[in-house]
Amino acid sequence: MKYAIVGFGTAGYHALKAIRTQDPKGEIDVYTNTSMPPYNPMLTTYYAVGKLEYEGMFPFGSLESIQKEFPFELHQEEAIKVHSEEHSVETANGQKEYDRILIATGARAFAPPVKGLKPENAYLMRTVEDAQRLKERLQQGDVKNAIVVGASMVGIKVVEVLQKQGINTWLLDLAPYIFPLAAYPQVAQVIQERVEQQGVHLKFSVTIDHMEEEDGQQIAVLTDGSRIPTDIVGLCIGTRTNTQVVDEKIALGKGIIVDQHMQTNVPGIYAAGDCCEGNNLENGQTQLIGLWANANRQGTTAGNNMAGQEMVYEGNILHNITRFMEMDFIGFGDNRIEGEVLEYGTLGKGMYIRLVLKDHRIAGANILDNCSISGIVKNYMLRLFGGDTGKLPVYQRAALESAGLSSAFLDELEGKIHGCH
Amino acid sequence: MKRYVIDLDMSKCVSCGACTVACMDQNDFVVQDGRRPRRNIFDMEQLEDGKVCFHHLSLGCMHCTDAPCIVGCPSACLSKDPETGMTIYDTTNCIGCHSCAMACPYGVPAFGADGKMTKCDGCYLRIQHGMLPACVKACPFGALQLVDLDDPQQAIPAQHSLRQSSLELLKAQV
Ligand SMILES: Cc1cc2nc3c(=O)[nH]c(=O)nc-3n(C[C@H](O)[C@H](O)[C@H](O)COP(=O)(O)OP(=O)(O)OC[C@H]3O[C@@H](n4cnc5c(N)ncnc54)[C@H](O)[C@@H]3O)c2cc1C
Ligand code: SF4
Ligand code: SF4
Ligand code: SF4
Repeated sequence: MKYAIVGFGTAGYHALKAIRTQDPKGEIDVYTNTSMPPYNPMLTTYYAVGKLEYEGMFPFGSLESIQKEFPFELHQEEAIKVHSEEHSVETANGQKEYDRILIATGARAFAPPVKGLKPENAYLMRTVEDAQRLKERLQQGDVKNAIVVGASMVGIKVVEVLQKQGINTWLLDLAPYIFPLAAYPQVAQVIQERVEQQGVHLKFSVTIDHMEEEDGQQIAVLTDGSRIPTDIVGLCIGTRTNTQVVDEKIALGKGIIVDQHMQTNVPGIYAAGDCCEGNNLENGQTQLIGLWANANRQGTTAGNNMAGQEMVYEGNILHNITRFMEMDFIGFGDNRIEGEVLEYGTLGKGMYIRLVLKDHRIAGANILDNCSISGIVKNYMLRLFGGDTGKLPVYQRAALESAGLSSAFLDELEGKIHGCH
Repeated sequence: MKRYVIDLDMSKCVSCGACTVACMDQNDFVVQDGRRPRRNIFDMEQLEDGKVCFHHLSLGCMHCTDAPCIVGCPSACLSKDPETGMTIYDTTNCIGCHSCAMACPYGVPAFGADGKMTKCDGCYLRIQHGMLPACVKACPFGALQLVDLDDPQQAIPAQHSLRQSSLELLKAQV
């Protein structure tokens, strides 16, 4: 068998590992447009702030050590096109045919141009180069004021880096509150208060309209007319899937559409990780779920199926844990769905959980200031979405109670799930 | 590679706490650190179908096959010990992100003042040297057992086994 893996992030790495384990003799070509081993985009801010060494961004070690463990042919060249009819990968050096092809090209940080913003003052956060650029700029010591646009999980991590350097930092978003894709407004309110207490300025329902220069100082002019002096601008507005390599025969939404084997609509061509749309267990539709664990599972599933092993990945729900400025915020499921609200704890004073119940399921959850209940709550949500009858086994109950949830709350939750209250 | 786990026979445990004390001793556990111990015992009273039921449990890492915590960690701190199959860790690059806690359906990973993760490592070094995990050795009732997954004779009867009764639940974890 001849295999191609296009893109060598964590999804590509996990596929390589699975293929090599199943097929020790197969020919595996890995195409990568970087000269680095697979890195974790989520670790970039930890490197920028000095919490991780450079090597720490590469969780699976060097290219040499990976090659030794799971032998493959490295092609350090950008794939230009994956041709679905010919089953081939095209690069500047020619075209090569394969039995199985995986597209694992991930995503890129995306920001529309800001009028008047000098490229040297604009910072994205996704790649190793992005992290190095920001780190080097901060080491120059000429940054006194900064603006970050995008109150997302990425945006807040960049804010944290800047704030730790003593930089006067603003966080803006067009949305009305922080973490708009995961938080309930009440929870967002408390998070915002805390972020402000730590000296970060927040402004919502606005963004930068354009930049001006006044006596050598860069000024951001916002859409509400206010003017903020700033030396650099962090753009954490969004991501775009890297789908330029697919031809018109491969089904595409916001990402490459895959089934539960991670196969595209073209047999023999697979996709995994941030470039693809897999199943969302909450609504049964395909959706981009750009998360590390998801990319790992998808890569492993694709690799096994490519090597002839039947493996199904049923999908995932939106889930995120963000630890920043000494707090944990956890968001599960779709925060737009409305339903019956069940809360435990006092918001802002120790462990707090807010659940939104709908149709005998937990449609969404926010947890603040406690990570140890999160794994069990997520497991419970997943089981309910999978059709489970919704009893918490005694050992999960024990762990939840020891973490601080009361048995009365758990009784109430189970009662409501079963609809007998 | 051997595939060992530490399983609990739920019909035999009496919540005496000998396992937890042995674990603390083995791992030089300092209570003042504020960290949750690696093994915890529970004595639960629950109303089930109008009857009061008593449950005795000793909970630590289940050393899951295809462990969700390994998949979830962004820094590859968690892994399987090639000799014993226990879920072990090296937190040199741990960033304290708590992703492992969000991934674990048993609520196992714990964090101390340094922000780094710790958990039960199955006493894999003891096992490598032919000894039992400290908790298993200490249990006076044979409730905790070191089980070789590839040896069916070693398994705890399914209806009493914590591991086997939670397999379905683990399947949902993605
Ligand atoms: C700042 C930040 C914070 C994050 N925080 C979290 C978090 O807290 N929790 C979480 O779960 N996830 C988080 N994520 C998301 C997580 O990092 C991703 O979901 C995951 O890394 C996706 O892996 P991947 O392999 O699909 O893609 P990528 O890591 O993007 O890898 C794709 C690779 O393909 C290469 N490539 C692209 N096109 C081509 C081509 N044509 N030819 C050859 N090579 C190509 C790219 O250069 C890249 O190396 C975060 C991301 C960022 C940026
Ligand atoms: S998921 Fe939890 S129980 Fe399973 S191996 Fe990891 S820490 Fe242990
Ligand atoms: S807290 Fe540490 S061990 Fe746990 S997932 Fe994060 S980096 Fe990995
Ligand atoms: S030592 Fe044995 S009986 Fe005592 S709490 Fe631990 S597992 Fe239960």
